[in-house]
Amino acid sequence: MIEVQSLARRFITGWGRRARVMDAVQSVSFVAADASITGLLGANGAGKTTTLRMVAGLLVPDAGRIRVDGIDVVARPQAAQARLGVLSDARGLYPRLTARENIVYYGRLQGLGAAAADARAVLLADLLDLAPLLDRRTEGFSQGERMKTALARALVHDPSHIILDEPTNGLDVLATRSLRGCLRRLRDEQGKCIVFSTHIMQEVERLCDQVVVMAGGCTVALGSVPELLARTGQTDFEAAFVQLAFPAAPASSAGRMSQAAQGLPAAVS
Amino acid sequence: MGAAWQVFCKELVDALRDRRTLAMVLLSSVAIGPLLLVALSALVADFEARAESREIYAVGIEAAPTLQNYLLRQAWTLQAAPADYAAAIVKRSFGHAVLVVPASFEQDLADGVAPRLTLVSASANNRAQGEAGSLSHLLRGFNQEQAALRLVMHGVAPGLLQAVQVDEQDLAAPSVRAAQFTRMLPFFVLMAVLYGALHAALDTTAGERERGSLEPLLMTPAPRWALVLGKWGAVASVGMGVAVLSCFSFLPGQWLLRSETLSAMFLFGPREALLFLALLLPLAAMLSALLMAVAIRCKSFKEAQANNTVVVLAVSLVPMVTLFNQGGEQPWHLWVPALAQLTLMQRVLEGEALGAADLLLPLAVAAVLSALCVAFVARQLRAAALR
Repeated sequence: MIEVQSLARRFITGWGRRARVMDAVQSVSFVAADASITGLLGANGAGKTTTLRMVAGLLVPDAGRIRVDGIDVVARPQAAQARLGVLSDARGLYPRLTARENIVYYGRLQGLGAAAADARAVLLADLLDLAPLLDRRTEGFSQGERMKTALARALVHDPSHIILDEPTNGLDVLATRSLRGCLRRLRDEQGKCIVFSTHIMQEVERLCDQVVVMAGGCTVALGSVPELLARTGQTDFEAAFVQLAFPAAPASSAGRMSQAAQGLPAAVS
Repeated sequence: MGAAWQVFCKELVDALRDRRTLAMVLLSSVAIGPLLLVALSALVADFEARAESREIYAVGIEAAPTLQNYLLRQAWTLQAAPADYAAAIVKRSFGHAVLVVPASFEQDLADGVAPRLTLVSASANNRAQGEAGSLSHLLRGFNQEQAALRLVMHGVAPGLLQAVQVDEQDLAAPSVRAAQFTRMLPFFVLMAVLYGALHAALDTTAGERERGSLEPLLMTPAPRWALVLGKWGAVASVGMGVAVLSCFSFLPGQWLLRSETLSAMFLFGPREALLFLALLLPLAAMLSALLMAVAIRCKSFKEAQANNTVVVLAVSLVPMVTLFNQGGEQPWHLWVPALAQLTLMQRVLEGEALGAADLLLPLAVAAVLSALCVAFVARQLRAAALR
């Protein structure tokens, strides 16, 4: 279980008079249960990536508390990181190493023995349809193949909690479907606690047990997709999201705003 | 420590698989010793051949049989200078001084009028200028002989003209004389070490950041110091490997020496190679840490390369200190990394013994700087991943 309470983080860029203060996260709270998928949904700049980086122990929050299975991430980051599998926004691989070597390297850094790390690499390769690529150097891998390798790398130590930052970015339809199937299996068969960030409504509707709607660095709504629809009185989840995240926007422009947020042309909807 | 070892192994494998870069680094580090020695020995062999040839290029020498006779007696051979010798000397395509003898030489000599000889060379033409010096010396000998003959004819003892006698004595040991030629060898070895470590240092820091693998690495429970130690160990190993190869390449490189004089003077055995290594290995570790410290703040490999040119430039300007410093070696030289190693490697080539203090001081400086740079990289690692 991941518990996030009143999280805040401010960034200051520049010096002196040119200093710019940006409150990336102001007040984010949610609880992600085990054997469930929690989606952080928000427009670009809502603070999703910063929140996940704080949960992963990469950034120290200015205020608030994060606990992973009761372990305070700020006080004991290494103990928390051992329970987390993180697929961050940056998912660079080592091009001169094979997929197997990339995965095993992270396994060793997580404290696994050589044989155990290799066995996990094989197991994950089967789970993620990566087996034929396992002994190929990652140089020249497609976006989907890179994502799968990075995911296997994040899961090599069999973490009980999985954090994914916009995992379907740059993936085609088949790769996206394959990833969704994989996340469902991890939740249903292994009882993992999965938290992922996205701005794609479809993904949230199809995958999430719980949705955390974020806007301007704050949690603005929390609940399952049907609960959020019921709360806003909408039948379209996109419209419900816009109503929750941008309350000042008129209901008629809800669809247009969400398209703009996703960078989609109006005709597509 | 286990995490540091894992990082070290991975980084080393990664660096060794970069075959193209590695091949270039190894080729330059292994080839540098033999190539430099061949170039130097060719230069010295050319000097020796010219000294042995004892040739004088002259114009109008047939009008001066007395002078011709003197020169031949001194075991010199006479050659006719080419017609365009003046232009050729200026263009440096003709590397000899030319003696121009006037047509009235013999008559003037007989009449007691000093004939005017011209010695043509150009100060920008080093070879011709060098020869002009020895020719001038030779002509002074002719002058003295003629003067002595005239004094004898007038019944004056020629010894009266010599108030003092001068004996020249060269105190330089053969190894020190050889070190004048081999002065640039330590510098090239130093640069080979620097370039050897450069690529690996950039790849493990700015390269890691550019390809987006630094952030996932920091999300593992491995402590930051372990990650940095592993990376530094791998980069330093590559630099040290280059140092070992370039030092030991001088050993077989000596077989290629064409100049017998140089091969007799340039004594570089296993002892000298080990002393070179004792100086270079700590420096390789320090330079690796410094290159990483500069690169960690850069967003891309290219930016890191540009920023590290300052380090490369600083190291390549080190010989200038010894060049401009006419006062010889100063105690502070041993406190400056790279300069200390150059100074001490030069001493090794000159056959001087190195004391423990000579080795320990640069070692301590390198250790302190390495620790500072590694600590700086560890401190910057998280910020670098997030920027």
